[in-house]
Amino acid sequence: MIRSRCARLLALVLATVPAMAFAGSFSGSTAGTSVGGTSASSDSTSGDDKVVVQAREDAAGFVASNGRLRSARLEAAFRHLRERDAAAREADDMALARSILAR
Amino acid sequence: MRRAARALALACLLAATGPVAASVRIAADPRGLAADELAATAELVEAAQARLPPGFGQALGGAASLSWRDDLPERVHGRTRGMRILLRRGLLSQWMARDGGAGAHPALAALLHELAHLYDRSPAGGLSRDPRLLDLAGWTVRPLRFGLRTRHNDFRDRSPDPYELHSPAEFVAVNFEHFLLDPGYACRRPQLHAYFAGRFGWAPPHPPCAPELPFVAAGGEDALLRLAGIDPARVHAVDYLLAEPDEARPMSRWGHSMLRLVVCAPGRPRGPDCRLDLEHHLVLSFRAFVDDVQVSTWRGLTGSYPSRLFVLPLQQVVEEYTAVELRGLRSVPLRLDDTEIAGLLARAARIHWSYDGRYYFLGNNCAVETWKLLSAGMPRLPAAEVRSITPTGLLRRLARAGIADPSVLDDRERAVRLGYYFESRAAHLKEMFAVADAELGLPAADAAAWMALDPVQRAPWMAAGGLRASAALLVLEQAALRREEAAAREALKQRFLRGARGGAEAELERAGQALRALLDDPALSGRPALLLEGTGYGLPLDAERARLAATVEGQAVRLGRVQSELRGQARQLLPPEQRRRLEQAGVNLDRLGAHLRRLARDAG
Repeated sequence: MIRSRCARLLALVLATVPAMAFAGSFSGSTAGTSVGGTSASSDSTSGDDKVVVQAREDAAGFVASNGRLRSARLEAAFRHLRERDAAAREADDMALARSILAR
Repeated sequence: MRRAARALALACLLAATGPVAASVRIAADPRGLAADELAATAELVEAAQARLPPGFGQALGGAASLSWRDDLPERVHGRTRGMRILLRRGLLSQWMARDGGAGAHPALAALLHELAHLYDRSPAGGLSRDPRLLDLAGWTVRPLRFGLRTRHNDFRDRSPDPYELHSPAEFVAVNFEHFLLDPGYACRRPQLHAYFAGRFGWAPPHPPCAPELPFVAAGGEDALLRLAGIDPARVHAVDYLLAEPDEARPMSRWGHSMLRLVVCAPGRPRGPDCRLDLEHHLVLSFRAFVDDVQVSTWRGLTGSYPSRLFVLPLQQVVEEYTAVELRGLRSVPLRLDDTEIAGLLARAARIHWSYDGRYYFLGNNCAVETWKLLSAGMPRLPAAEVRSITPTGLLRRLARAGIADPSVLDDRERAVRLGYYFESRAAHLKEMFAVADAELGLPAADAAAWMALDPVQRAPWMAAGGLRASAALLVLEQAALRREEAAAREALKQRFLRGARGGAEAELERAGQALRALLDDPALSGRPALLLEGTGYGLPLDAERARLAATVEGQAVRLGRVQSELRGQARQLLPPEQRRRLEQAGVNLDRLGAHLRRLARDAG
């Protein structure tokens, strides 16, 4: 009895409340944060760098579309880089998107 | 007889010489009272008078009388009959045995409580019939009942006195007591305090409140829970956040309504620039807290699910809808002034700490809850008649009333760039495929076919392309991984629905226990009040907040462990083929990521 209840509950969590209990996915990464590599684990990234790491997929879309596809996440990462780094202030968006992919 | 007459004279004298609020005339009934009891009664009356708002007495109209009674039903402290106040005799002995000041003594509270009833019934009163008070208290209007209000008040958690939920009249009396006697009332129930202060044009002195309102929010990836203090002065805007309808899912056909708090990053001046501080934005989302496997339409219709307010990081909500459910999100700013933003947040905080409602698919769904939050937060809203039972309908009406500004969505490109619109992650897969295919000649007809291939078949292409093609492949591979994850979730669900088979019983049992721990968590299930059981009422104050911070931190660590355990177990329970595909997709992404990193460095 208990088992079937638990089983149903577990099935439910897996099916309908990923946001609460399963913020990440069970392949061990949240989409966007570890895209394309395990080097940038969320444990080691500071709160600031997260803005940039989370924009990786959007940066890829930007580069692939020759700068046509943008997003708020990507703009936030651009702004973050420019606020922090004088060289980034001089760079254009495409160069910044590439630098996000280079991380 | 002579003694009684003397005592009555004394009582009248005392009442007449009271301080500022002397205009409240309360004559003590001297029958059966010894001289010291009569004197104590006079002191009690004086203590009450000293605490009443100015003008209270005039509003009452005439003199009230006070009698001590032995015949009140058990647990009843007081009653009123016309202008007569009857108080429990036992309170008098307690009052006489008190040491030190009057403080919030039960006898004083009882007398003020009954005076509140008298005031409420006077022509100047009528608080318990005031729609504004009913909104604040929790007897809200039901959208399908021609403006009739609920008979139940679901603001049960962290109540100072559960008797307040008995009726609007008792709510007024109990809260009036606390308004007058508890210096913490202003910070624990800021909106109600403001209501009483507004009604009387006066409030008793109280220490200042911390500017931040406490919320227990779901954390990001690193912590399942965190304590978020939101200072309304740091909130640039509040948006109506609409998850677009999903025709394929019966419970999502109308979309989902939420509110987005555009919170500024620390150090950033409050203004439009805060719109890009995405990692600081929070979402208020009413959800049915479901503890059954299928969201049952019948149970949804009949109110079997609790409806609770969840506080979530925006990034997590965006991810859930755009990447997992592949739905777009519209974020439409509401035209609010600072007072309204503060009112909304105060209301949200009250709901967060006290509300445990029922979800009704038609009568009390997310749109209704969001409307109730908006209308109790900003007084001008009820007049605007924006009630609607669907999320899209509510947005339309908010726009028609001039409160929501959907014009931000007119220019789609700008909307996407500034975060007024969050596109589904599946929006540009076709274009990505075309870019990669043009350079590499991929062995698939289109994006869908490419992602449906076995990840092993895609593997050779992961380090084959130039910068643009590889960037396009990254977007596709990420989408493919999400598909594998969705398929894995579905497989697990089916697996659990079938029950244990082939020796997996122990694993199922363990996973079930881990899951229980997550679902039973008070904060994860939307009732943070349970984290602070036994202390205080309303919003937690300083000492409670310190305790809360420690509790939340401990819970986050514990739940994090349970969660990763559960993930590990879920992974083990996957059918081998599914697990292989999932792992291979991960390997693909790693290779592609490394390749892209090299290319980008060379190009940079």
